[in-house]
Amino acid sequence: MATGTAASYPPPPPYYRLYSDYSTDPDSAPPPPLPIEGSYPLYGATYTTEAVLPSLEDQGVRQLYPKGPNIDFKKELMSLNRDLQLHILELADVLIERPSQYARRVEDISLILRNMHHLLNSLRPHQARATLIHILESQIQRRKQAVEDIKRRREEAQKLLKESIQILDSQ
Amino acid sequence: MDIISQLQEQVNTIALLAVNAFGTLQRDAPPVRLSTDYPEPAANSNPSNPNTTNADGNPNPNPNPSAKPSEEANNAAEQPKAMSAALVQAAKKFDALVAALPLSGEEAQLQRIAELQAENEAIGLELQKQLEAADLEMKQVQELFNHATDNCLNLKKPD
Repeated sequence: MATGTAASYPPPPPYYRLYSDYSTDPDSAPPPPLPIEGSYPLYGATYTTEAVLPSLEDQGVRQLYPKGPNIDFKKELMSLNRDLQLHILELADVLIERPSQYARRVEDISLILRNMHHLLNSLRPHQARATLIHILESQIQRRKQAVEDIKRRREEAQKLLKESIQILDSQ
Repeated sequence: MDIISQLQEQVNTIALLAVNAFGTLQRDAPPVRLSTDYPEPAANSNPSNPNTTNADGNPNPNPNPSAKPSEEANNAAEQPKAMSAALVQAAKKFDALVAALPLSGEEAQLQRIAELQAENEAIGLELQKQLEAADLEMKQVQELFNHATDNCLNLKKPD
């Protein structure tokens, strides 16, 4: 039984044989492989190394807010919020009068929620750039502080040296 | 938590409140009176319909749970109010968070990043210059100190 389960798994890759003399001669072993770029298959699915948010059509979801290069996020988010509240009220009404037709309303509500989340996710690159600006500003601040410190210490050292020369000369 | 995560949490909260509201209403809703021919169930003697008469003519054979059904009726009226108030509050909070978003255009951000990078470069060069000068001076002072200590040691007469 144990041999059956052991034989059913594939053996580990045989690369370990290439490194048998690594302790004596590090150059005899092959270097590590370079990082993968572009898209790669993994367990039957294709993944990509580029970090980009897939658009809603790619996920098969209808996009409710208008497309275009510049989206007014605040306005779209507020109008989506208002739409959401209206749809919730509509669902309550449908449940009172025609309870069998809830499915379409629930689908609409979930569509609005997905759109809201997609809008929020597309704000993340903006946040990343803002974080970068913040980091650069604080780094410039620290560097300026360091320059001031060094200048001050150099001046103090020069002053001490001059004083000591004066003391030695007067003796 | 940063504001975008707060907004995402708020969206999830609104969805949760809506789902809870509908679930609670569906669970706690009292049964609907279908027609006047069918009497209310007499065994539980729900005093929400006090005009019901039982088979033996006793209007309220159970005085003990009279407090409980009225409390249930109160809850059934207050819970939807509380839940809808919470939902509206959550929606208002979402609007407030959206208004507080510090948005600016992408080109403005990229321009600012380029400016900051140039300034960072300049400050970095000056810092490096100062560091080199300070290193040089430190070496000079160390050499002077070594000379001075050598002289001190050499001029000292051994006992």
